[in-house]
Amino acid sequence: METEPSQNDVETRLLDLAKSQPNGVSNDDVKAHLSDVPLPELTAIINKCLKNGLFDLFKLKNTLFYKYKDPSKKTTTKGADTEERVVYKIIEEAGNKGIWIRDIRFASNLNMTQLNKVLKSLETKKIIKAVKSVSASKKKVYMLFDLEPDSTVTGGAWYQDQDFESEFVDVLSQQCHRFLVEKWEEANQKSGGPLAVRNRSYATASDVHKFISELGISKVALTIKDIESILFTVVLDNNAERIVKTDGSYLYKAVKGFLPAPGLVKTTCGICPVVNRCADTGHINPKDCSYFAEWLNQ
Amino acid sequence: MSSQVRKVLSLILLERFGMVVEKVATHLFQYGSSPLLHIRKYTELPLSKVKESLAILIKYNLVSFKPNRNENIANYTFKPENVLLMLRYPKYMNLIKKKFGDECEMIIEEILQRGYWTASEVILKVQERISKSNNISLVQVRDQFVSLVNSKYLVRLPFSQSEDKPVPELGIDGKELHSVPTIDMAALKRAKSAEHSEFADKNIYWTVNFNRFHQDMRDKIIVTAFTKKFDDNVGELVNFLLNQMYIRTEPWADVSNPIPILEIKELAKKQKNLSQLNAFFDQYVTLIEEDHSNLIRKSGEASGGSFQIFLRQAFTQFAWELVEQCVFEKFDTKAARIFRLVKLKEYIEPDHIQQQAMIPAKEAKRLTYQLLEENYLEIQELRKAATGGGPTKSFMLFHIKLDQVVRMTLELCYKTLFNTMTRRNHEKDINKRIIDKKQRVDTIAMGMRVQGASEEQLSDIEDMITPPEREILEKIEKTMKKFNAAELEIDDTIFLLQMYLNYH
Repeated sequence: METEPSQNDVETRLLDLAKSQPNGVSNDDVKAHLSDVPLPELTAIINKCLKNGLFDLFKLKNTLFYKYKDPSKKTTTKGADTEERVVYKIIEEAGNKGIWIRDIRFASNLNMTQLNKVLKSLETKKIIKAVKSVSASKKKVYMLFDLEPDSTVTGGAWYQDQDFESEFVDVLSQQCHRFLVEKWEEANQKSGGPLAVRNRSYATASDVHKFISELGISKVALTIKDIESILFTVVLDNNAERIVKTDGSYLYKAVKGFLPAPGLVKTTCGICPVVNRCADTGHINPKDCSYFAEWLNQ
Repeated sequence: MSSQVRKVLSLILLERFGMVVEKVATHLFQYGSSPLLHIRKYTELPLSKVKESLAILIKYNLVSFKPNRNENIANYTFKPENVLLMLRYPKYMNLIKKKFGDECEMIIEEILQRGYWTASEVILKVQERISKSNNISLVQVRDQFVSLVNSKYLVRLPFSQSEDKPVPELGIDGKELHSVPTIDMAALKRAKSAEHSEFADKNIYWTVNFNRFHQDMRDKIIVTAFTKKFDDNVGELVNFLLNQMYIRTEPWADVSNPIPILEIKELAKKQKNLSQLNAFFDQYVTLIEEDHSNLIRKSGEASGGSFQIFLRQAFTQFAWELVEQCVFEKFDTKAARIFRLVKLKEYIEPDHIQQQAMIPAKEAKRLTYQLLEENYLEIQELRKAATGGGPTKSFMLFHIKLDQVVRMTLELCYKTLFNTMTRRNHEKDINKRIIDKKQRVDTIAMGMRVQGASEEQLSDIEDMITPPEREILEKIEKTMKKFNAAELEIDDTIFLLQMYLNYH
């Protein structure tokens, strides 16, 4: 942590030096200008700049020269033709959500083979990358190389290699529900008026987050926001209610519904998959219904 | 009323009144109001039979009549909803039994069986029935009868207003509906000792007021709902609120008039077994007031606050929950989650469904379209007008029309009812031989017992039913019980859904 400011400082000084010499600086120039910096550190910084594409390295008369390269003008590197520039621009506009190849084709008016060639060349130059989207497994989207894909593309914590981990979500949802129910039961055991019981049974998302982290069922680190969305599924399952606090955050509490299971679903017809095709004549009829027979033998 | 309902109705009528009545009623159901000769022509029954069936149907208030434009002929109209109420008779009797006791139950039972009856005759009959096991005076039965009239469980039947018309017009004054009859106790006593006697009230008939029963059943649903969601104390509180509501509000109003909470507090204090409620009375009030469901709201601060009950909203909420439960049981948790999400968002895109319900894309899609196929969800498509080339963009939004879903569920209830009844009759038919045998044996045994046969002879007769047959009989009995229980439970669902439709 402590070396960071000085490192940044050295980096800016180095960059300033390079910017002042459009023809490039040699190793010796660098050493002369930054004599106060130890050599290994300097090498590390130079390597970092090279990696980030801030420097171009070239050899002139057997000496190595570093030349400053503006990162915003990356496309205008040698060899980039008009097509590449156009495609680059389209991809750049798409941001970290990426853009589908077909949409590039429509926007650029290039034909398929040409576009493929351009994309391939941009990809080999590490200017753009292809990311697989979770919403459609076969769909690849392109975005700039150094961008972190948006969570809509990768799916966030719930996805692993484009697969939604539904079991993981189910387990988390169950555990969240369990936590709320336990909290509610605990509140009920303590004496005090009904209002106190109610207020004690509310939990914030961070309470639940703490509980889930301590359980250690999750391999990936979950954020509070992830827990909020899990809690929302518990609310949707009618197992909890959510109220808004005065500061805009949510409170959760386990609740019960108003009604017991209705009489309709206690019989077979209420849950019968072929009830729409059932009639008093025909193959599916109440007299021969095997579901009924099962129900009667229960 | 659909053809599904028709099938259920004809099964009920067939069971209770037989083929001829069923045929007449079905004709009226299908063709609407029709005069006597029409019915005869289309049912191809002899005139006397048709007349007889109509008389029966009118007696049980299943058919009403009105003069035609030609005033000499009457048009007969079927009342299908009253037929369905016949399934609810056990419930009405049970309700009265819990509230007023056995004597009142018997009064209601006698009147339900006959459709209508005069006060004197009912009292005589009930007293006679009870005195077999218990001693009860006629005055006691009369008091019970009067209490039923006062609490509006019994109402006076409309009677003919003008004597001279060929088709009588029935009518009754609002006041006379619930005015307590004067019953000549002396005449009753005379009738008890002598064979026959004339009663002063021989033309004043009483019938059961179903509406009043439904009101009680509605309140019970609300109270049990609150009890289930919170606890018994809240249930009691809501019960008090509902009882106080009637002082100021029409029983079937959408929203009750404000009820001062102090009144409830006083009432609760008088009850000894509600110490928990009394200790935290204000807190319980705050609890239901602040609840999400918003069914009971504060309307004013005066005199400690007054509260309103939102009955219409309550039944909307219950209908939602019922439908959700149906979806849950039929398609499981995830579909129910999607259903509730759509309900919450009103209009939602498929992409958002899978994100917010946290269900894998493929499964979410499958479930959503399955719900769509079964008509639980609706699609609203928003399409942009196609401009030139390029892909046209359209949005698919899912939403729910509760009214439709409720009606569909109600239809499903009728279908289930029909299926259960058909299956029950079918099971009876298959085992007809053995049931008949059992009945024969029972009658023989009974006859012999009357004649004073010895135990040995009786057991000989009993042994005519072999053990395997006995096993089958037991199974049939169990099956029938199950069917009857199922029918009553389906009727609960029907009642709740009808309440929702009543309020909308």
